[in-house]
Amino acid sequence: MPFDADLLMTQLVVGVARAMMLFLLSAGLSLIFGVMNVLNFAHATFLLLGGYIIYSVYSLIGPGILMFLLAVAAGCVVLAAIGFALERLVISRMYERELPEQLLLTFSFVLIIGDLIRLVWGVEDRSVSFNIEPLEIFGTFVNPYQFVVIGLGLAVALGLWMFLKFTRYGRIVRAAVHSREMVSALGIRIRLIYASVFALGLALAALAAGAFLPTAPMALGVDIDLIVQSFAVVVIGGFGSILGTFVASLIVGIVYAFSVLVWPNGALAVVFLIVVAILIWRPWGLFGSELRT
Amino acid sequence: MKFSRIGPASVFFAFMAIVPLAGSVFWTMIATEVLIMGLFAMSFNLIYGYMGQISFGHAAFFGIGAYATAMIGRTFGNDYGWFFLALAMSVPVAAIFAAIIGFFVIRRTGIYFAILTMAFGELMFFLVFSSYSVTGGDNGIQGLLPPPLLRAPSHYHYLVLCVVALCFVLLWRITQSPFGYTLRAIRDNAKRVRFIGVNVEFCMWVNFVVAGAFAGLAGGLWAPFTRSVAPTLLNWQESGIPVFMALIGGAYTFAGPLFGSLIYTLLHAWVTGVTQYWSLVIGLVMVFIVFLAPTGVVGSVLRQWRTPGISAPAEPKTPTVASPERG
Amino acid sequence: MLKDQNNSFLNAISRRDFILKSATAGAAVMMSRHARAEAAEPYRLGLLLSATGSGANYSEGGIKAVTNAVAEINGRGGLLGKHQIELHFRDTQSKPDSAAREARDVITRDNVRAVIGTWSSAEALAVEEIIDEHKVLHFAANSNSSRLTHENFSPWFFQYSPDTRMESGAIAVVLAEMAKKNNWKSFVSIGQDYEWARAQQAGFLEAFNKLVPDVKLSKEFWFKIGETSFGPYISGIMAMKPDFCFGAIAGKDNVTFIEQARPAGLFKRTVYPGGLLSLSELQQLKDALPRGMIGVARAPFYALLDQPVMQKYLKMYHAAYGADAYPSDWACMHYDAVYGLEQAVTKAGSIENEDVRKALTGATIDTCRGKATFRACNNQLGVPSYVGTVTDSPDYKFPILDPKTMTKVSAEQTWLPSCEEVQALQKKRA
Repeated sequence: MPFDADLLMTQLVVGVARAMMLFLLSAGLSLIFGVMNVLNFAHATFLLLGGYIIYSVYSLIGPGILMFLLAVAAGCVVLAAIGFALERLVISRMYERELPEQLLLTFSFVLIIGDLIRLVWGVEDRSVSFNIEPLEIFGTFVNPYQFVVIGLGLAVALGLWMFLKFTRYGRIVRAAVHSREMVSALGIRIRLIYASVFALGLALAALAAGAFLPTAPMALGVDIDLIVQSFAVVVIGGFGSILGTFVASLIVGIVYAFSVLVWPNGALAVVFLIVVAILIWRPWGLFGSELRT
Repeated sequence: MKFSRIGPASVFFAFMAIVPLAGSVFWTMIATEVLIMGLFAMSFNLIYGYMGQISFGHAAFFGIGAYATAMIGRTFGNDYGWFFLALAMSVPVAAIFAAIIGFFVIRRTGIYFAILTMAFGELMFFLVFSSYSVTGGDNGIQGLLPPPLLRAPSHYHYLVLCVVALCFVLLWRITQSPFGYTLRAIRDNAKRVRFIGVNVEFCMWVNFVVAGAFAGLAGGLWAPFTRSVAPTLLNWQESGIPVFMALIGGAYTFAGPLFGSLIYTLLHAWVTGVTQYWSLVIGLVMVFIVFLAPTGVVGSVLRQWRTPGISAPAEPKTPTVASPERG
Repeated sequence: MLKDQNNSFLNAISRRDFILKSATAGAAVMMSRHARAEAAEPYRLGLLLSATGSGANYSEGGIKAVTNAVAEINGRGGLLGKHQIELHFRDTQSKPDSAAREARDVITRDNVRAVIGTWSSAEALAVEEIIDEHKVLHFAANSNSSRLTHENFSPWFFQYSPDTRMESGAIAVVLAEMAKKNNWKSFVSIGQDYEWARAQQAGFLEAFNKLVPDVKLSKEFWFKIGETSFGPYISGIMAMKPDFCFGAIAGKDNVTFIEQARPAGLFKRTVYPGGLLSLSELQQLKDALPRGMIGVARAPFYALLDQPVMQKYLKMYHAAYGADAYPSDWACMHYDAVYGLEQAVTKAGSIENEDVRKALTGATIDTCRGKATFRACNNQLGVPSYVGTVTDSPDYKFPILDPKTMTKVSAEQTWLPSCEEVQALQKKRA
């Protein structure tokens, strides 16, 4: 393998692009766990659902990039509504329950939603194609869409960070991560906060689906592959820490990109070696808080 | 009192023994599946029901056991000697992996235990998947025929029945030993157990290894049963099955997981014959169980029956794992 | 009856409907069946395809084809005019372990005499173990690893698709010509990390090395099925600056790969031949597929319009799904599998498994791809592989592999030359 500067540079860019995809996918998962201590196995399945909804809306109102953005927005709204309802009706009953039951419940969502998608949309793959042309920079071709993904990832990271840091609701959510009782004691309606966070998490999943659609088709079974990688990211970064999820995405994305060059069929095994190493060293993750173990 | 202790289990095994006499190959094979998966679920329940931790990577040991048997079987053929050796080797091989993995995971509890076991499980899955030259990668290994006399479904069923019944007794002895009661004490209050001078980590580690070894044996029985192995045996979705079986049957009863396996396998056989929406059905059943029968079917039945102190591990008084309150 | 494709298709898969549909095939048939005094034993046929997981998209064609063909045969009274075919569907969930379990289930519970299907080669390998033991016929019309007919061969197994050795050999024939013409020196390969792609790549290497020994493989990339972001692989390929990149990718992953490789400029730098471009890809990727790309197909209807069996099938397909619906390669091969069974039963004059197996071994049958003969030593149907370049066609709303320039590589050109070599590979089953 000729490791020249060009290759290292390109590999870094594609690694970062992959990282931002992972971040978009994992941000909601991390947020939900951080606030509610619920491990949502079905997060990627919600992404899949969001993708199919965006596809359907887009095929109604499309074509055109503007219409696609509109479809993505619609997908986010629908998923947020689903998230809100689901939290109020089902998830909220689980907080007092034991962990295996929580896990089994979100696991059952994977199964149920997967089959519901099949019932509604059938088995065909759905993709949206914009015929993006390659960009030529210094004699090498790069995929311009990668920069869109990187930009989107950065924007979401920044947006979430500002929301959590500077807004009133953000502060409440952060406080809820640390102590639920204190937040309740201050007279804040914690139930509403929980439902909103779940809705936000699912809306983020739909946004990620919007980023996925132009590059990879939505298909049955995609969620199963994605959730495993998403777990890896969240575990490395520390549950509940957006910064941690961001950094972990970068690590996983870049490590993956380079291990493809060295041990192509073992790239995922390498990622999980890192996960295990981190978990042994700091089970709460790079940026998680030790208090929560 | 005596009957409710061994009664259901002996009825169960007696029933399993007469299934092949009905002459249906299909039901014989279903019964074999019930037994193997039941052993798998009971091994999982050592960790969950008795130690109070939930493993979401238990299929790794099931898969490792299956691969150990498969790889030895593939290399040395299916003589009786080699076959039984291959079967037996699934135990130490799985135990070695469980010992290594257990060393790391038992330091964590609650959701971190679940995540760590899942991460290790996925690591094992990807290692098996990626090592194409050794494990056959995604293809798996085929042609794992048992020796001629054990090839007929009913013969293999009786072999499995003997092995599982033996394991059932062994597991019973383990859970009724002082070690078993120490585990229950750790589950209910690890701190107190530590104060009286018990090496909590060591007990948990031993239990993890024992559970891994039994899961490995279940996998070892599974490989010649399906005549092939594939890496999907190790992945996290497979790990969900014993969790579900333990919950459906009742994790706080000794034989609960065995009955969970019976219910799950029968349901699976029935539903897949009628509709392709197995996932939807089992998903809804899970939701139903979680909300309406949290102690499982067997647990709920026993609750009607039992006199104090009978059903093996009594339910813990307090939730054992983190809920948001613990923050 | 099957106007709304998705919903009625899905409904059709429930077992009850399946039996109903194949058993009745219209009220008229029902009447004639009951009118007949001796109710002959039905022919129980299992169908093992994926309704869930990554294989579902490609199994749909096969499920449609088998359902329709069975209904048509039953409409004529069934096999030998009296044995109605009873279809039993099982979802293999695109997993080898589930495939083995469902095979066992459908064989022991529903007592099927034969099974059609499996999507992936890994599933087929697992199923082959079960059918060999139960002496049940297995017609594979999709999964095509050459191990199925060689290393893991069972006399009960019949292959309707060109196997990987033949398919990749066909690509090697075409590429060797191009390599000589363009003076190519090196290439890389990328493939899905599973049985079909492994076998496809190995078969290609063997055949290509024989034809042009100087052109070297400089690196192989393998990725897990279901990969969603190929960026690192694509830049890795481009860094090697190969003359061409051999792809052993099928299904959704090929769609994803092409969708991501095009904007990354891979096709501007290097040629990417070898991908499986069945009708499913041509239709679902109609915008993104680079014109001029070289691909291989197994049963492209648009190049087989002169075949009487294909004409008949097209007519049936249009009647069921509308005038602008076309059968995929998968559908055509499964259609061949059902009618191959009918021809074998007719020839044998019996539905007994041993008789049917003997009748089909070495038999010449009519297929969508013309007359073809099963090779006696490994039950491989002697069908060609179709290598062509993607081009737009005025007749269809999607691009096709240009039939005018298409290379039809015959089976004899690419399979192992002698039966001794085949038998040397076939292990003895204990």
